[in-house]
Amino acid sequence: MNRLAPTALLITGTLALALAGCGGSGDTKPELSVGSAYMPQPVTGDMAAGYFTVVNKGGAKDELTSVTSGASARVTLHETVGQSMEQVTSLDVPAHGQLVFKSGGNHLMFENLKRKPVQGEKVTVELHFATSGPITIEMPVKSATYNPATGH
Amino acid sequence: MRKKTFAAAALLAAATLTLSACGSGDSGDSPVAVVSEDSSQKAATVLDQPFEKPDLVLTDTKGQKYDFRQETAGRPTLIYFGYTHCPDICPLTMNNIAVAKKQLPKAEQDKLRVVFVTTDPARDTPSELGKWLKGIDPQFIGLTGDFATIQAGARTLGISIEPTHKDKKTGKVVSVHGTQVIAFSPKTDGGYVLYGEDATVDDYTKDLPKIIKGQNP
Repeated sequence: MNRLAPTALLITGTLALALAGCGGSGDTKPELSVGSAYMPQPVTGDMAAGYFTVVNKGGAKDELTSVTSGASARVTLHETVGQSMEQVTSLDVPAHGQLVFKSGGNHLMFENLKRKPVQGEKVTVELHFATSGPITIEMPVKSATYNPATGH
Repeated sequence: MRKKTFAAAALLAAATLTLSACGSGDSGDSPVAVVSEDSSQKAATVLDQPFEKPDLVLTDTKGQKYDFRQETAGRPTLIYFGYTHCPDICPLTMNNIAVAKKQLPKAEQDKLRVVFVTTDPARDTPSELGKWLKGIDPQFIGLTGDFATIQAGARTLGISIEPTHKDKKTGKVVSVHGTQVIAFSPKTDGGYVLYGEDATVDDYTKDLPKIIKGQNP
């Protein structure tokens, strides 16, 4: 793992140039897509969580600045720090990287939902970014114990 | 194990920088890597030195006095410290246990005591707790009361919690939950098994029949 072939190191000048291009297209712009979205069915309509992953194939970073949804007037971004969760105003989507929301880590918090979402339904959520245009996702409501690692 | 070729050090600085920049995108904590690690780990930790039951005399969801030691004596018991204004880990942990519990025979379900102790007693009144737990499992016991008593009880189980406070930056109310579920044996009343917050429904489903009997999972 992580082993550099010594022969490659000899061609230093051209190597640097060639590798600089390794990111492919989108060197100066973020290129975002969103996947793996779900909401575990909440206990009550007072509070729910939401998870997803933003993938950035572009060569520039972006920032998730806010989230809106017809399901709740108040949707906030949280990160988990130790045993508590802290509200944040934005989260970075690194260039050629991803921003992951998952249980025990970053999560969306929906407060005072218009009604309690039930497994099988979908919640429409709009993600707003500093640079890229907004992205609308349909977040499926899964069981309260849904585990994305096993898919059930 | 992880081998670094130190010939790289001889490289021109510019080339080294470029190389590390290209590699960094893949080395993040992608969920795929986590999955493969998890499957080889056991959720339960059996303690060599079991915990004594905490001396918690609190108020249950009906507003009545509940003496934890007295009420759960000789019963298989699970305890967790959390709060209801918690969208993520607290409901997931309690729901995982609830789903696993429903797979036990009825008589064993009735023996098991699952106790949720709030870390946020100011907001989690008996009725708030009751409403929340009813949505998870009506047999679960919810306890609230004096924060100092709750904190001291948690501490005897190696669980550290802080009072609910206002975040200085955002002004938002921040509460803290425990990260472990502790199982007590019906034979010894000792807290002998510990679960982290990544324990799944399957882990509890596999282990609860043993915990009911006071056996090691």
